[in-house]
Amino acid sequence: MSRVITITSGKGGVGKTTSTANLGAALAMQGLKVAVVDADIGLRNLDVVMGLENRIVYDLVDVVEGRCRLRQALIKDKHLPDLCLLPAAQTRDKDAVTADDMIALANQLRAEFDYVLIDSPAGIEAGFRNAIAGADEVLIVTTPEVAAVRDADRIIGLVEAFEKGHPRLIINRLKPRMVSRGEMMSIDDVLQILAIDLIGVVPEDEQIVTSTNRGEVAVLDRSSRAGRAFSEIARRLAGEDVPITVFDENPGILNRIFGAFGIRARGSER
Amino acid sequence: MGNVMSFLDTLFGKRERSSDIARDRLLTVLVHDRVKLTPDMMEQLKADLSAVIARYVPSVDAGAIEVTLLRGESVDHLKADIPLRRTTQKF
Repeated sequence: MSRVITITSGKGGVGKTTSTANLGAALAMQGLKVAVVDADIGLRNLDVVMGLENRIVYDLVDVVEGRCRLRQALIKDKHLPDLCLLPAAQTRDKDAVTADDMIALANQLRAEFDYVLIDSPAGIEAGFRNAIAGADEVLIVTTPEVAAVRDADRIIGLVEAFEKGHPRLIINRLKPRMVSRGEMMSIDDVLQILAIDLIGVVPEDEQIVTSTNRGEVAVLDRSSRAGRAFSEIARRLAGEDVPITVFDENPGILNRIFGAFGIRARGSER
Repeated sequence: MGNVMSFLDTLFGKRERSSDIARDRLLTVLVHDRVKLTPDMMEQLKADLSAVIARYVPSVDAGAIEVTLLRGESVDHLKADIPLRRTTQKF
């Protein structure tokens, strides 16, 4: 059974595209066939994060409008043969596609892939609604900041209103040392406020900047703490029971094993 | 240096931890987002409340009424604190 999963956030700049690229790559490393779809029509980003910007011939809007076949628009990843990108159009706007187009596209992709990950645009407008239209489940990315959590709360309500089940949360860019000083909201603070299931915690990691500069995903770099966190999230997505760990700033040290305190990633049985 | 200062401030109780401030601000903002009560409506609500209460308790201090929205576990609460002026009893 193929799964279509949309990654969204409400607020921009919290790491949707980075999460999509890394989770897609991590799932493909497990030997699964994965398509990542950039649904941010007009503000194409996923291609540069994955380093595939020079290979684009056709895009999502070309597929929707019938100028090419789906296969022609899919770009194979540089490193992972099981990973493909469907890029967004750069010269069009969000009105170029409809929710029905996105549902049809998701169903076409289901036939070819085990996982379809859709990178949603920020906001709560048509672009976001199109991005979740074809999804079976939704992941919400937030950072431990007031504005990001507020927007995540709004998005959770909308995702539930669109009957996409209970979304699961990725807390991105956590700084464990700031949390222990009481200068950043903790995982528990965010979870108590949002009251949804956590699927993983990604620490702030400068290597994300350097890997994005190079157009490489962090999960390919074994020394990247964020990369390891994304690999674990991908395993949880695929159904493995992996305790949630927060990778501290010293590489190789697991700061806290949250599983020991009863906080575990759960499936969508809530 | 900034970290040391903020640590000392916290240690000596001069400053609330900023993570606690963030959490409290979020809780307030979210409950207002959800209940859709604007500051204008809150003011109107206070005025209406004091008018109703004054019919029964004339010593109500209209200017000091505080109405707050609080987030609870499963339900949110609209909480009103209605101070009454102490009047000297006459027998």
